Amino acid sequence: MHKLFEFIRSVYVAVLFIVLEVIAISYYARSTYYTQARLLTRSNQVIGGVHSLFTGVHRYFSLGHENRQLTERVIQLEERLAQYEEAATAERLDSYLQDIGASKYHFATACVVANTVNRAQNLITLDRGRRDSIIPEMGVLSPDGAMAGYVVDCTDRYSVAMSVLNTSFRASGKLAGSEYYGSIYWDGHDQNVVILGDVSKYADPQPGEEVVTTGFSQYFPADVLIGWVESAEMNETRTAYTVRVRLAAEISRLNEVILVANRDLYEIRDLQQSDLIEQHTRLE
Amino acid sequence: MYRTLPYTGLFAVTVLLQIFLFDNLSISIYLNPLIYIAFLALLPLDTPPVALLGAGLGLGVVMDYAMGAAGINTIATLLIAFLRPTLINLLYGHDNAKEGGIPSSSRMGNRTFIRYLALLTLIHHTVFFLLEALSWSHLPFTVLRIVVSTTVSTAFLWIIARIFNSKLPSRL
Repeated sequence: MHKLFEFIRSVYVAVLFIVLEVIAISYYARSTYYTQARLLTRSNQVIGGVHSLFTGVHRYFSLGHENRQLTERVIQLEERLAQYEEAATAERLDSYLQDIGASKYHFATACVVANTVNRAQNLITLDRGRRDSIIPEMGVLSPDGAMAGYVVDCTDRYSVAMSVLNTSFRASGKLAGSEYYGSIYWDGHDQNVVILGDVSKYADPQPGEEVVTTGFSQYFPADVLIGWVESAEMNETRTAYTVRVRLAAEISRLNEVILVANRDLYEIRDLQQSDLIEQHTRLE
Repeated sequence: MYRTLPYTGLFAVTVLLQIFLFDNLSISIYLNPLIYIAFLALLPLDTPPVALLGAGLGLGVVMDYAMGAAGINTIATLLIAFLRPTLINLLYGHDNAKEGGIPSSSRMGNRTFIRYLALLTLIHHTVFFLLEALSWSHLPFTVLRIVVSTTVSTAFLWIIARIFNSKLPSRL
């Protein structure tokens, strides 16, 4: 017994190292992007304030750029407004027949207080939280309306979104103007390029073609711009295309974002998981 | 114990620099310098191994908390905290290390000191980026990240070491 204690004393540093390392590795092995987002929301309560301060200074210097962007957007909207005003007269009679009600989508804006692009799992921290009616699973769009990520977790004042540049990010996308769709994901290589995988071999994507979201994913409304086709190649079995898509949103320069929530998301999900539906999907 | 204050300062400064400056560098996906290990690298040569492990654990947990990384930093810092005494004995000699003092180019010689910093950084970054990628499929890409980031981190570590040592001329 005495010798055992002697032995343990001579190697206790190594033993301590192994024990601590095993604890750390098992914690890491059990973590998901979700726990990482939880961790970041918690630490943001402490360092979020300082981040906001730096962001405030940084934003001051990019005001010019943002102002230009806003003006461009105003011009675009003015043009569209003019179009609508023309169409409005013609459509007035039709509109009497429709029940307009509240829009299906709820919009909000937020400022980015912290953002990374140089990791494999990149997350965006926003300065709005539950208090501003931000909820998990809201889509995140860049100011010019291109897909940038979706919200994963919120505290009262901050929320953390998974950026498109996260190897865990999944969404569905399609070639604009056709019904050929595939899944959008990031391979971790280039901060300006995402992959649109499993596109039908009949699609024949051309460089420059627009890629937009489908309405399937429920995080994003249909036809939100994702980017433009850069190149496409057949997979080895020649059954599908893997398309490289140049992102429309510049994630590394994201300063302000638009958040969009599908009001019906929870209703649709409840419906999909209802007992009656389950009876028809049970495998028997 | 007389160096407690400078080391507390070093810990705070490196951690704050990492969180608020180096984590926000979006120059390239290949460049992610992790300079906070300067604290571990610059602990006195005669620090007991247990204290080193404790420092590695503390530093790793603080960085994991700040970066939302769920353990990668702790795994990597614990490893270099454990290997540091062996590394110093190999590069600088067991007897010399016993004399203590802050690791610096004037004490260890410029070449030995840079080799020590580079090896320590390389081990840490290798573990960190391999765990972050968690796959062998993009190995060349991960290796490039490790090499670029290690080079830049080592340079910054050397600068931090110069500043840290020049502040304490009488205590060398």
